[in-house]
Amino acid sequence: MTTDLLHQAAPATRHRNGAALGVGLVVLLAVLAVVCVLSITLGTRGIGLGAIVDAFRDRDDSVDATVIREMRVPRTLIGLCAGAALGLAGALLQGLTRNPLADPGIMGVNTGASAFIVSGIALFGTQNMTVYIWFAFAGAAVATVLVYGVASFGREGATPVKLALAGAAVSAGFYAITTGVVVSNVDALNQMRFWQVGALSGRYWDELVRSAPFIVAGIAITLLLGRALNGLALGDDMAVALGQRVGRTRAVVVVTVTLLAGAATAACGPIVFIGLVVPHVARALCGPDYRWILPYTLVLSPIVLLAADVIGRLALQPGELQVGVVLGIVGAPAFIALVRNRSLAKL
Amino acid sequence: MTRTLRLLLLSLVAMSLAACGSSSSDDSGDAAWSYTSGNGDVIKLDHQPKRIIASAAEAAGLMQYGIKPVAIYLAQDLELEPGLEGLDLDGIEIIGQEWGKIDAEKAAQLKPDLIVGDWWPPQKAYQGFEEGVDKASLKVAELAPVIGANQEGSLEDVVEWYEGFARSLGIDVDAEKYAAGKKRYAEAKSAFQQAVKAKPGLTALAVAPGADLLYVAVPKYSTSLTDFKDWGLDVIDPDSPKADFPYWEYLSWEKADKYQPDLLLIDDRGYDSTIDVAEKQPTWDKIKAAQARAYTPWPGYWVHTYDAYADQLEQLTRAVEQADAGIA
Repeated sequence: MTTDLLHQAAPATRHRNGAALGVGLVVLLAVLAVVCVLSITLGTRGIGLGAIVDAFRDRDDSVDATVIREMRVPRTLIGLCAGAALGLAGALLQGLTRNPLADPGIMGVNTGASAFIVSGIALFGTQNMTVYIWFAFAGAAVATVLVYGVASFGREGATPVKLALAGAAVSAGFYAITTGVVVSNVDALNQMRFWQVGALSGRYWDELVRSAPFIVAGIAITLLLGRALNGLALGDDMAVALGQRVGRTRAVVVVTVTLLAGAATAACGPIVFIGLVVPHVARALCGPDYRWILPYTLVLSPIVLLAADVIGRLALQPGELQVGVVLGIVGAPAFIALVRNRSLAKL
Repeated sequence: MTRTLRLLLLSLVAMSLAACGSSSSDDSGDAAWSYTSGNGDVIKLDHQPKRIIASAAEAAGLMQYGIKPVAIYLAQDLELEPGLEGLDLDGIEIIGQEWGKIDAEKAAQLKPDLIVGDWWPPQKAYQGFEEGVDKASLKVAELAPVIGANQEGSLEDVVEWYEGFARSLGIDVDAEKYAAGKKRYAEAKSAFQQAVKAKPGLTALAVAPGADLLYVAVPKYSTSLTDFKDWGLDVIDPDSPKADFPYWEYLSWEKADKYQPDLLLIDDRGYDSTIDVAEKQPTWDKIKAAQARAYTPWPGYWVHTYDAYADQLEQLTRAVEQADAGIA
């Protein structure tokens, strides 16, 4: 029995056959469902299971029901969308740049989106997300191009460390813009602080409905890019030899990253590390095939984001720790581990 | 996070004030000078202070008696200090427009002989020199003695402290040009007391709605709320103030219905945007007073003059008169 297990386990992990990976994905989906349930049941307000069931069954107007239906459910759905978007954006960037440190957070894409959002709000006075989500896309695009461009200077091209450094610099610059706008704007004190650290609190159906279409579209495009990313992973020459149109692939990837990271940031502010760490975990679980990495990232990322959010809700009673802060605390050591880990550092 | 919140709230606490001021500075007086600070310390100088650096809200307290500081420091952008609007800031250097950041070099060049910033007992610190501010800013407090009114207790006492300060400099605070504001204040106070008396059982709750939390003010640490309570208004005491920042109880929006007053007093700094933020929260309407639109601006920690206090009391009196003691 024991030997049988050993014999089965070894090749299974080495080859990672499709069936095992499929089962793994189903298990992760179950975990995700559990995390979603926790996200709806746990919070600063203690609400019994009975009241939660009632909130869905009768459309009553009690405070408990309002908190569940109008706050925790949209919050959980935003966590699902934003988590998936940020994780996939990270996987796409890592595939695009073949850089293990690529992440929309580290590369300043999210801070770029934030900076554009606050500037847009300050300049045009709009609090309408239908409008400012476009500022987010613009900011994400500018940041992506800027960081990648800066990092590409020099003979060796965009090395992982250069990309991370350029990202840190651009990120800091955008963060300074955000802070500058926020401290010099009286409305900002209340409304814009949110754009400095990402959070799922204070975001309701409105934010969900206005960002979800973009995120769903981005996810759909991403899931079709698995083969193309596998090609890029072999290097441009090989990819071209295999008949790929590398330039077009890159363009599609950049646009998709912009869509995902921009919409996620518009929904919940700048959040780092999901996009960095989760794709690596997915890669460790299922090997180098992006056709598996992408769906694994899709499911794993919201698990991490929602779990971090639930922890944040309970950690700092009666207030809440923003999920961006929780992930910062968890993510920093993960980032250091990645930088120091040579085997991961090669994509 | 905690730090960000503290910075925000400190800067909220630190925002500033309205007053009128005619500028004429008395140049007489080489005699020794002393005045008692809000923390009980007696500050002594061998001459009258002439070069005062003041925190913004406090500066308005001085300027209502024509005492013009050489410099002021603010906790945020100058244009966000509604209280300084209309004040003649000509010749007054601005040496800080961000919480926790005072330009120490400029301050040193101005050779101040006194620094005026109110005393905050919970933090055991003067305005501008609380825990968490820039180290360089703290150096400013070493340039000259710091003095200020006690921000625990009565707001009337705070305003009187500035009146006394002016008197200590030989200014005739009873002169006609200063008396009008004081008289209007006395009338406003008595009208407020009468309005409250006519509404027995009326409860009030002072809040500052934020995007992620609802902050509930603790009356003991708000001089204005302390006065309102003394004058008969039943301002609800939140039961769980934040331990290390006891000005507020922090409520998550999920728990926004914890206290049910008849009348909401809403921090008036950024009032309109605050209301927008609050109305976006699904639970805001679960506060019955909010649903009934029974709310009114409340001066959040910035009043330093009789005129400003009179304005605020008149506004509050109207709200109390319209309030319905049966909402909650």
